[in-house]
Amino acid sequence: MAKEKKSKKVYKNGFNLLEKYPIEFSEKVGTVKYDGPIEAFDFSFPRKKIDHVIINLCPMEPWALPNSAVLKNGVRNILDKLDIVRTRYFPKSHCYVVISTQETKLIKESKQHEGHEEWLHVHTLDPIYPNDAPVLIVKKILGLDIAYGRNTVEIGVLVLDPQTVVGIFEHHIRKNEFSTRLIPISGTGLRENKILEVKPGTPVQKILDGNVREDIKYRVFVDGPLNGSEVKDLTQKIDWSTKNVVVLEERDYKTLFHFARVSELLFTTSLMGELRCCIYCNYCDDICPVDLEPALYWHCYIRGEKQKARLYALEKCIECGLCSFICPSKLELLQVIKECKS
Amino acid sequence: MKKTIKKIEPILNKTLNKTESFIQSRPKVNFLFGALFEAFDGLIRSSKDTAKTQPFIRNQMDAKQYMGGILVALFLGWVVPAIYFFGFLCVVPKLIVSFVVGVFIVDVIWVILAREERINEGGFVTCLFIPAFLPPQAPLWLIGVGAGVSILFRNITGGVGMNLLNPALFGRLILTISFPTMVVSGWQEPFIGFPTLQSLTYGVDAVTHATPLIAYKETGEVTSYISLLFGANTGSLGETCRVALIIAGIWLCKKRIANWRIPVAYLGSVFIFAALFSLIPGETMVPPMLQLLSGGLIFGAFFMATDPITTTYSQTGKWIFSIGCGLITVVIRNFTPIPEGVMYAILLMNLVGVPIQSIVLKLKYRV
Repeated sequence: MAKEKKSKKVYKNGFNLLEKYPIEFSEKVGTVKYDGPIEAFDFSFPRKKIDHVIINLCPMEPWALPNSAVLKNGVRNILDKLDIVRTRYFPKSHCYVVISTQETKLIKESKQHEGHEEWLHVHTLDPIYPNDAPVLIVKKILGLDIAYGRNTVEIGVLVLDPQTVVGIFEHHIRKNEFSTRLIPISGTGLRENKILEVKPGTPVQKILDGNVREDIKYRVFVDGPLNGSEVKDLTQKIDWSTKNVVVLEERDYKTLFHFARVSELLFTTSLMGELRCCIYCNYCDDICPVDLEPALYWHCYIRGEKQKARLYALEKCIECGLCSFICPSKLELLQVIKECKS
Repeated sequence: MKKTIKKIEPILNKTLNKTESFIQSRPKVNFLFGALFEAFDGLIRSSKDTAKTQPFIRNQMDAKQYMGGILVALFLGWVVPAIYFFGFLCVVPKLIVSFVVGVFIVDVIWVILAREERINEGGFVTCLFIPAFLPPQAPLWLIGVGAGVSILFRNITGGVGMNLLNPALFGRLILTISFPTMVVSGWQEPFIGFPTLQSLTYGVDAVTHATPLIAYKETGEVTSYISLLFGANTGSLGETCRVALIIAGIWLCKKRIANWRIPVAYLGSVFIFAALFSLIPGETMVPPMLQLLSGGLIFGAFFMATDPITTTYSQTGKWIFSIGCGLITVVIRNFTPIPEGVMYAILLMNLVGVPIQSIVLKLKYRV
């Protein structure tokens, strides 16, 4: 019964990626040595008054930095830092700590602190991608609407990840040198999934050295394979906004008996099927987190009516990429949506 | 076992690669056998395409698995029960004829002539439908004609993903128009009891009896619901064992291959409309339970109406579509001399699928 409930949630409005791609990181945090020029920590404080600060402690993607790595010293530590940062830079604002419903221990711990501080609110979210996208997190926690692509600061909301909170605290308040960022690296192109301490400014190549498998072809992505971007030039530098690096095996050859080897193919760049016509299966509108009907855009697009696609609430799309991910006909729906938008 | 597979694998892979390059390098061979090879290769090997744009990972469900799911459900839902009730020799030759004519003759010739890229596994689904809604004693050539017409119709209207009408039902419609007596006679009695080798091979020898709906129209006799449910009654080859069809249909809905809204709305509306019509005084109407459990309704609701391509895309439209199907089915069964209305209902609603879709979109997005 419990399993049934789960699988229902997996499908409707979003997708549980954590279940589909279980990624384990090795516990030891490695360091990447780099002597070249590095980027200093930089956080541009918003000019507008901030009423709400959302701290995102709910990584919805399996390749994102796990909470255990940031909260080594307990949640108390980060909440104290948050309090100091808040009183200094965002006075009178309320802080919302958002935790995934799976992390019961963390929720319990945070709830204890919530009782003592009136500025602190603890919220939970189901671990379903893309619930942590700014548009959805603002809608789910505060009930505010914001259009995709606009900065949440415009409506007085600031969304921070815990690493940035620590950065502001160390760099701007303690005036300490703060020059490293934790970057998780994972994927089938690697020998081992690791969390690395990286100085922003380090080229991606430096991170991959010694970690990638030499016997296969691979492709490198930053900020996740779903809506991140591909690194074509490995001299590209890691910056303060880089969330993660994913290295996937490139399966550009045919695999025999693929139906029996789904797990082998799953976390690679393989399309896992052939390009076909839309078969109106409704998978894309069932999975869409903002209740759109992506197949409509595809039909408009192939008829050459990009204008018409915009009539069907296209502006609500948050470009999470789930429609292309789920499509059994392997249509490039996200690409079509982007082209219709432009 | 695993070791032998591991040994064979590289050899098989190499052979397939060699064959592929051999076929592709010779235009004439490619013209004749390219499509066939691709269809076979696609069954046992994955495609070599990789994701070029975001997202760079994809779900494993593809159109092949989608169609494969329908094939499995159809096989368990009607082929297995039909072999029990009517015998191996009644069912299997029909399937072979249907597949050979539909897929291996008409579809292959079409692919070669129209220079299309590949044979589509959708053809197997269509051909598996054809014997299911014809009487057990239908001659083999009739099945062949039906399968050929269906596949030809599907290909002419643009192939999988483009057709307006359900091709299998269209084939059946052509048969009904061309051979009106053949599709409504030859209702063989099913075999009931513990299966023997004799019964599994031959079924019951050629005893015919009117279907429950025809019997009701003629004499007013209501067949027992239990026997209808388990298939101990006359009817088309694939529609009699309703329990198996319901289980297979629910499995399809759970796998999200069939949309659950359609069978729920279709069966529900048939029951409600039948109940409403039976309130009309002075007329004898088919009672609601008999409506539900007779004819091809269960088969149609779970397998034919749910064909995603010929219904509407929008979910609201699917409710309207299925309720329309229910209404037409009940009206045809009650007020016309035609005993069965499922085929007409689904085909008629297929025709209005596109208008329903555009009206729903107009209401939803105010455009």
